[in-house]
Amino acid sequence: MGPLTYYDIISPEWNYVIALIIGFFFGYILEASGFSSSRKLAGVFYGYDFAVIRVFITAVLVAIIGLLYMGYFGLIDYKVLFIHPTFMTSAIVGGIIMGFGFIMGGFCPGTSLTAVAIGKLDGWVFTGGLILGIFFFSLIFPFIEKWYYAGDMGHVKITDYYGISDGVFTFWFAVISVIIFVASSLIKRRVKPIRY
Amino acid sequence: MSTRYIILTILLLGTSFGLIYLPEKADYGQVKPAQFLYEIDNPARFVSTDLIAKRLIERDPSLFLIDVRSEDEYNKYSIPGAFNIPLDNIASEENADYLDQPGMDVVLISNGGVYADQAWALAAQKGIKNIYIMKGGLNEWFATIIKPVAPPETAPTEAYDLYAFRKAACIYFGGASAGVESAGPAVKKTVTLRKKKKKEAEGGC
Repeated sequence: MGPLTYYDIISPEWNYVIALIIGFFFGYILEASGFSSSRKLAGVFYGYDFAVIRVFITAVLVAIIGLLYMGYFGLIDYKVLFIHPTFMTSAIVGGIIMGFGFIMGGFCPGTSLTAVAIGKLDGWVFTGGLILGIFFFSLIFPFIEKWYYAGDMGHVKITDYYGISDGVFTFWFAVISVIIFVASSLIKRRVKPIRY
Repeated sequence: MSTRYIILTILLLGTSFGLIYLPEKADYGQVKPAQFLYEIDNPARFVSTDLIAKRLIERDPSLFLIDVRSEDEYNKYSIPGAFNIPLDNIASEENADYLDQPGMDVVLISNGGVYADQAWALAAQKGIKNIYIMKGGLNEWFATIIKPVAPPETAPTEAYDLYAFRKAACIYFGGASAGVESAGPAVKKTVTLRKKKKKEAEGGC
């Protein structure tokens, strides 16, 4: 029964080893999907390459369906899985800031590290800016602490909030995502291909 | 639209459609019935009144007594040092920390032992270990500690030692040797709990 460390099947120190292994494969898959290229990443915004949205939604769907089936078969107790607390206002503001950074820089924090790994200079600059930004945030944190914790809704899931069951939500999410995949491939066919 | 994408789409929609019809696993937060039965059969879930008296005299800090009778009965008489949680409230959230105290031995006390047994069953189903019942309840307490009965002539020496201990315990707990109706007012206990840190599965990005 998982999670493994919660039920003491393996000791908590294995968390670090497993994190290392998962991180290794995560970086490998990101790089293998071509996400070290800032042009590919910013393609969703400019409308010529939709790889980001497809990979992202596929990952989410595989995770949800896998977890729900594993929960049904008793392999995992997803009631004890960690749910991030939802801070509505600060999530919106942070999302806008992150969106600006993503489009201007062409990287998000994880992919900037894969770009660093393959030696791209803009990846290095992005990561340097990331660290500076974190440092600057820690300096001004006492002033923005109130807005940092704004809109606290607690550890709530979207299915609990709207009262629909997990299975129904996942099914409709899958249907909508298939529509997104088809639409993105149609758009890509119409758009002039861009050389990276 | 290549065949690979069509197969993957059908797989995705099929599995997510199957999710709608997955039956809900009813999860009451209880241990499995086989485990519960094993706990019921275990005679070590009872502790004798002599052991409780001995540990109270020695001021054993790891003993925690819970009296599950009503508040009036508790105020009339209870074992000194017992904490009162009426049986109706024993399953409530705020009392959960009293039942589940790692490192302490929690002993449930009632008049005859039936209510204590019910409280024990609740706790055992939740998977709480280290929770016991005082065998015979307060009736047994009165019969052995407060009004000990002298053993017959043919009894072995251990019975006489036990009787001597019970007489001493009787004096300790405030009753005279014989003819005691009540053993004095109940000592209200103020309890400081060590809150068990709920370990959460942690995560983060």
